Amino acid sequence: MPSLEQLWNVSDDILYPEAEIFMQRLVNEKGIATLPSSQVAGLQNIANTASYRELAHFIRHQRERKWPESKKDIEVFYTELEKWFTAVKNTRLRNEFHLAQEGLSNQEIDELMALLAQDFIQHLVAENGLLAVKRASARMKRR
Amino acid sequence: MNKEMQIIREVNIQAENFYEDAVQFGNHAAYALTKAHRSQMTGLENIADGAPKVSDILDYIKRQTARFPYWRQVFPGEKPSDEAFGERLKNYLEKELARKRDAVCNVKVLNIGDRTDEDRTLRRHIYLLLIRQFIRQMVAEYEYRVSFEPGKK
Repeated sequence: MPSLEQLWNVSDDILYPEAEIFMQRLVNEKGIATLPSSQVAGLQNIANTASYRELAHFIRHQRERKWPESKKDIEVFYTELEKWFTAVKNTRLRNEFHLAQEGLSNQEIDELMALLAQDFIQHLVAENGLLAVKRASARMKRR
Repeated sequence: MNKEMQIIREVNIQAENFYEDAVQFGNHAAYALTKAHRSQMTGLENIADGAPKVSDILDYIKRQTARFPYWRQVFPGEKPSDEAFGERLKNYLEKELARKRDAVCNVKVLNIGDRTDEDRTLRRHIYLLLIRQFIRQMVAEYEYRVSFEPGKK
């Protein structure tokens, strides 16, 4: 298993800037709404307490839910989040982050993914909050 | 001189250079947060002192900026800023102090690259030391400024 120092380096050097880009692309380019606080609380809670398997299950469940038209943006968010986690688990963990050496068991990979997910979601949530107030203040200015 | 001593020396040199900026930020903080929200400054200082990652500090600033309107105050003072306090602080730490970290790690100074895990860890350590120094200086100025504010003890 990689050391905590290695994980912290990945969090600062890769996850933090990627979380910013992830949210900014969705909100500023795709024009979707920021994640509402109920979703933020649910996502953060599960990321901080559950296993990666449970988190992945939660994300899939949120993506597959029949959202009303007014909340379709939430589905877009979870669809993108699922894609991001799948890419990290399948290839980037080993090839880009250099965290998964040969011989790691599936359980160890899931433990690693849970730690990375916790950090990535912490960065996402922080950026989401900032984008939400920026949006609200832009709306106020337009009035 | 061993590596850790060299790092401390170089960080202290950079801290001398950014002192004036930290004073400006302290004044902005005193204007925006006032004495009434002093706990915000001690909270920031505690996070900075204990965080193992730079992103923990930046996330904290983002969260407080999103949550409290006083973190979003601009500064009309002597050297005014039309940037909100939290956003301005985050940008300074992310850009200016990252540049100072790069200067310290430069081949002509400490020669710390970014290819090995060991080097990346040292870079993060230096970055954290710079941020801690900056926040300490800023909070000292903030405390000094708000000490003149009338009001409850």
